[in-house]
Order: sequence, then C-alpha cells, then structure tokens
Amino acid sequence: MIRVMSLTKRYGDFTAVDDVTFTCRPGRVTGFLGPNGAGKTTTMRVMTGLTPADAGEVTIGGHHYRDIPNPGRHVGVLLDASAQHAGRTGREILALGAKLMGLPASRVDEMLELVSLSDVESKRRLRNYSLGMRQRLGIAHALLGDPSVLILDEPANGLDPAGIRWMRGLLKDYSERGGTVLLSSHLLNEVELIADEMILIGRGKIVASGTKQQLLAGRAGGATHVMALDIPSLSTALSAAGLDISPAGEGLRVEADPVAVGKVAAAKQLVLTDLRPAEGGLENLFLELTADTQRESVTPEGVAV
Amino acid sequence: MTAPAVNTAVNGVVDPALDRVPSIDVSSTQQVPFGRLVSVELRKMTDTRAGRWLLGITLGVLVVAAGIVVIISLFDEQFSMTLSDWQGMLTFLTTMLVPTLAIMSVTQEWSQRTGLVTFALEPHRIRVILSKLVAVTLLALITLVLAAVIAVAGHAALAVTGVDVSWSVDGTDLAWTFYLQMVYFLMAFGLAMAILNTPGSIVVYYLVALILPNIVYGAVYFLLSWGPDVVPWIDLSYAVGAFRGEMPEVPSGTPDLGVGPILSTLVIWVVLPMGIGLRRILRAELK
Repeated sequence: MIRVMSLTKRYGDFTAVDDVTFTCRPGRVTGFLGPNGAGKTTTMRVMTGLTPADAGEVTIGGHHYRDIPNPGRHVGVLLDASAQHAGRTGREILALGAKLMGLPASRVDEMLELVSLSDVESKRRLRNYSLGMRQRLGIAHALLGDPSVLILDEPANGLDPAGIRWMRGLLKDYSERGGTVLLSSHLLNEVELIADEMILIGRGKIVASGTKQQLLAGRAGGATHVMALDIPSLSTALSAAGLDISPAGEGLRVEADPVAVGKVAAAKQLVLTDLRPAEGGLENLFLELTADTQRESVTPEGVAV
Repeated sequence: MTAPAVNTAVNGVVDPALDRVPSIDVSSTQQVPFGRLVSVELRKMTDTRAGRWLLGITLGVLVVAAGIVVIISLFDEQFSMTLSDWQGMLTFLTTMLVPTLAIMSVTQEWSQRTGLVTFALEPHRIRVILSKLVAVTLLALITLVLAAVIAVAGHAALAVTGVDVSWSVDGTDLAWTFYLQMVYFLMAFGLAMAILNTPGSIVVYYLVALILPNIVYGAVYFLLSWGPDVVPWIDLSYAVGAFRGEMPEVPSGTPDLGVGPILSTLVIWVVLPMGIGLRRILRAELK
C-alpha cells in the first residue's frame, strides 16, 4: 500500500507537484499517467526519499521510506534504467544490489532468468545494452529483494510489444500474489494494457483516477459508434431525437452514450449491427484532462498538430 | 467538459482507517550492516575498467620505479638509499593515481547517476558517505602496505647488488609518510564531495596535491614578501616538513610554528571541503 497525502513540491515559482493525494492498493497495478513534465517522476523521487517534499507526505506500507530498514527488501524501485554505471556488467550491477541487501548470489541468476537476460547478455557492460535490456535489468534489480511494493518509472519505455506483454504478465502475476505496483507512463496504451487502475496527472495535479470503466463512465457525453442495416433511417431517427450525428466510416458517430442510441433504434425498430463506445474515448479523455499541459492543441476529434 | 468524479473509494478522500496499521512489517528486517556498506563500496571502486586500470598501472609504476633505482645503484658507487627513502618515493607515486579512485567513489554517484540506486537502497546518506570514507581509508592503507612490500623487496635487491644497506627504519619519518598519504586521500575525497563532478574534482586535486606544492608554493615563498607568512599555513608538505627534519632551505631565524600549520592545512584541505561536501550531499536532490 502506497499512500500519497497532499504532496507538494516546488522549484522556485514552478510547482512540479501540487497537492497530490492518491493511494495504491495491494493486489492492484496502478498506472500513473500523464504527459512529460506532469510531475510523475518528481512524485516518485519524493516517495523514495531522493527528493525532499515541501508539503505533505508519502507512506509505504505505513512507513516513511527513510524509516524502512534495508528498503530494497520491501520496496523495489526503478526510477531510471540507465542510471547505472555504464562500465559495469548487468550481472555485476545485480550482484552489487544482492550483496548490499544481504541476499545469496544465486538470487542474481534467478532474477536474470526471470527477466530473460541470457548468460552472455548478463556479462556485457551496460553501455552495450539496448533500452529494452536496461529496462529488463532494472526490473530484475527492483525485484531482487522480493519486495511487496514496486515503484517503477516508465518501465515499459523502450520495450517492444512482446516486451510490454511480458511485463504485463509479470506485473499481473506479482500483483495477484498481493504485491502493490505503481508504474508511470506518458503513453496511454501502455498503461491501458498493464494497469488495473489509473491516476491521471497533468501540470502537477491529479485530474482523474479510477479504473478504465470508471473513468469512461463518469465522462459526460461519451460518443457512440453505431452501424445499422438502414443507416439513412437511423440518421433521421437520431436527428429527430435531438442527437448530434456525424458519418464515421460505414456507420455513424453519435454524441451520446450507447444506451441512448439503442433506445432510439429500438423505438423505431431499426436493426443495429454494431453499437459501442466510440474508439479513443480514453485517449480523448486523457488529452482533454491534460490539455493545458500538452504542447499541441486539442480538438474534440483528437489532436490538431 | 467536466472531469470524471474522483473515485473516493480508492482515491481522493483518504479513509482514515486505511493503513493506520502498517501493512508492511519491518520489525524483522535489520538495517544494512555498516560493514556490508563498506565492502560494497570497496567492490564498486574496483569492479570497473577505470578502477582496475588505475590500480594495475600504479602497481606497474611502483615496480618499474623500484627497478630503475636498482639499475641506477649498479652504476653509482656512492649510491645509498634508506628504507624510509624507499617508502617515501613509492608512497608518493601512489598518490599520483590512486586518489582518483577515492574521487570517483563519490562523483560517480552523480556523473553515472548511480546515486539514484545507492541512495534508494540506503536512504541514510550519511551512512553511505561514511562507508565510502572507510573504504577510501582502507584503500589508502592498502597502497601504503603495497609500497612497503615493494620498498622492502627493492631494498633487498640493492643488498644483493652489493650496496651497503641498512635495515633500520626511521619511525617518525615513516609515521609522517603515512600521515601525508592519509591526508592526500582524504583531501581527494573531500574535494570530490564538495565538487561532485569527476573531471572537476580530479583537476582540483592535482592542482592542490601536485602543482601548487611543487611549482607554486616554492616560488611564492621565496619571491613574494608575504610568502613566508602564508605558505607554511597552506602547504601540506611544508607543514609536515618541519617535523621530518627536512626543509634545509628554510632561512635561519624562521619561527617555529609548531603544530599550527599541520592543523591549518588539515582544516583547509580536508575538513573544509568535507564539511561543504557533506552539506551538499545531504541536501542534494538525486536526478
């Protein structure tokens, strides 16, 4: 369990983290989602005692990070997979961590196997690692001490699709055994794939949180994609019901939720062949919620570059 | 468009009952023992190419220097060298390169950004710094022992080649050699703490440890009117020299400054940089 309470961190006039409060529960993978510079990394550095907070506090399992003895045994941390000595081999990096935490050397081999780094790869120096390999090594390092909490900053960055799938399996498995996972990303797709819950942050503030369903359910006026045997009749019926429609591919995009569209169709006895929330609902939500922190302007249809 | 309501069951309003009882039991976990921190820091100094090369080259330089002395003795009938001379020469050679390891032990945490990991695994930064200090002190002791072993071997070689050697050791002189060696390593460590940058620390160290004493201080002492008043208080080897019975060139009538210069040089080159550095490191944000 991670609890962040009213956390604030300022740099001069700039408030990097602004009164942030959230909780990560055991048995869940919590995604920390926001554009670059939204305050994700700063929040995570404060969590692990690397940056002092100006106000508020963070507890992990009820303790301040600083008060956890041998923290590597309780909290696995990966803040930057490249923040390792470029001249050390992957194996040596893990061996140093295992030694410090008081773990048997065999733990290094176990972790290397877990993250699928081969024996040959483990003897290469970090500077020769791809970003994806560094992330795998970083995950291995975070898991060394068999912690019950994982704090991972952009762990999927640099992983190929197969790597992301692997990480999803790894973290799902980990959380199902009761572990708490907080992972950050600026990519919605990654978080959508891996996380059970999401916390959206923009310009230092939490803008929304919950499961994907909760986030979309709370969204007023979510659009619907609909297809029918008789599109012209459906268009007429929907327009008559006062709903905004626009053509979208073979079907229609309706600015209303699927239930409203379904009711209109049922009343007119029109056969629907497809009825679902419009694609990109979460993505649009994310972009809108964090709009003032994006470098591109956002239109209802998406991003206008 | 309005933002979705925050799910209060999970986030937002904090349920005071949640997590009141710590959900992680740390009572059976021991703090990382200090000795383990030290051994990890020692390993970190020697597990990179830079570390191994510095140690290897230093060992090579010591052996070559000893060899050159022995060869010279073959051609010089008047050749004489005491064990203290040996130890002094070889120890000085170790101060050329090995303090770089002391510097990198600190600065790498910033330049290679390993501090992100180091200080996450041991959030009590003072313990990390103290463990590095102990590791660096051990390294300095090891170089002294290494120099002593090669000194004895070289001296024995002189005896074999027919030089009339004495095996007596000037204890006082040896003690000052040890003292200076420690001060050089601690100075390198302190400068690194204050500067937190590898090239910068190395440049300043060589400036202070080699260039100033060997080129600048002498000139200042003899050429500038205020030289004799200032140099003794800032020059490490001058401060020590008075106690080793060296410095024959000191003009007669120079007042005996006692341990004053020893203390002032210690404060200027070790205590002050370490103090500034400690303040920086304890407050620094790891990025």
